[in-house]
Amino acid sequence: MIKSNHAFHLVDQSPWPLTGALGALMLTSGIVKWFHSFNMTLFISGLIILVLTSIQWWRDISRESTFQGLHTLVVAKGMRWGMILFITSEVLFFFSFFWAFFHSSLAPTMEIGLAWPPTGIQVFNPIQVPLLNTIILLASGVTVTWAHHGLMENKFSQTLQGLMSTVILGLYFTALQAMEYIEASFTIADSAYGATFFVATGFHGLHVIIGTTFLITCLLRHKSCHFSSTHHFGFEAAAWYWHFVDVVWLFLYMTIYWWGS
Amino acid sequence: MASHQGGMLLWRRLALFGAIPVVVLMTLKTAFEVSREHAHHERPPFIAYEHLRIRNKRFPWGDGQKSLFHNPHTNALPTGYEE
Repeated sequence: MIKSNHAFHLVDQSPWPLTGALGALMLTSGIVKWFHSFNMTLFISGLIILVLTSIQWWRDISRESTFQGLHTLVVAKGMRWGMILFITSEVLFFFSFFWAFFHSSLAPTMEIGLAWPPTGIQVFNPIQVPLLNTIILLASGVTVTWAHHGLMENKFSQTLQGLMSTVILGLYFTALQAMEYIEASFTIADSAYGATFFVATGFHGLHVIIGTTFLITCLLRHKSCHFSSTHHFGFEAAAWYWHFVDVVWLFLYMTIYWWGS
Repeated sequence: MASHQGGMLLWRRLALFGAIPVVVLMTLKTAFEVSREHAHHERPPFIAYEHLRIRNKRFPWGDGQKSLFHNPHTNALPTGYEE
């Protein structure tokens, strides 16, 4: 049965863009309401709606591609550009937090003691847990590449092992960072140091969790044989995102952890 | 997508004999150093600096005085350590 006489994918009507937009609106305005009225209802509702939307929207994309075969080469190329543009926008997002960090640290004010780190701040030793975290993320870049080559060479089990190793390393990083956050002698409210540190590393940590979730999704899809050796864009997108997360960490490590100590 | 003959074997070896052992070794080294440091570490005396422990607006949870990852042992409140 012919649905169209061109290679592009004109998607069926879907409620997810609307629910996603409403969910995002509820989430953001919910955070504001939480901070001003100390009520979390709108925020939690927005979060639940957004999570449910994401699951169902991406589930639909898997159905359209893997099961219905609607992702032709041009469709996949379009998605490549889309992912590249999205990651670029995320780079710009992090750029703003690095700007804030350098604004505060290059010319420390009187209020913080004309020094960086500010008076009274005990920084993390960069060659301890932060260095371990750097090694972990770099290693995970190697394991995800192992998985990718396994996929391209049709080695099912190798791909599984590589992906599993990457996920484990990602979870290990998150666990170590959580421990660091709890052990820290300074909080987000401790001068510009605390603010720039926790906002920058905090958003990075959120992206690690998102990236790990993306990789776990690929792991499950791979186990269900969704990927072929030549067509597996979802996996590539996850791998690109993961490398991006790694690069952001390298910049965080070099600037905030190392130079900033 | 280019077909990489043997590309998978290279990355598998880099992962299993390079990256992962380095992670294990670094873990042991870090755990050793951190435990050594923790045994002697004394927390700094409390000085009520104005640029630290800022509370222009209360935190939106609990009594509003503790950050999200508050550690009673290492994080002093604006009035001093709790314990």
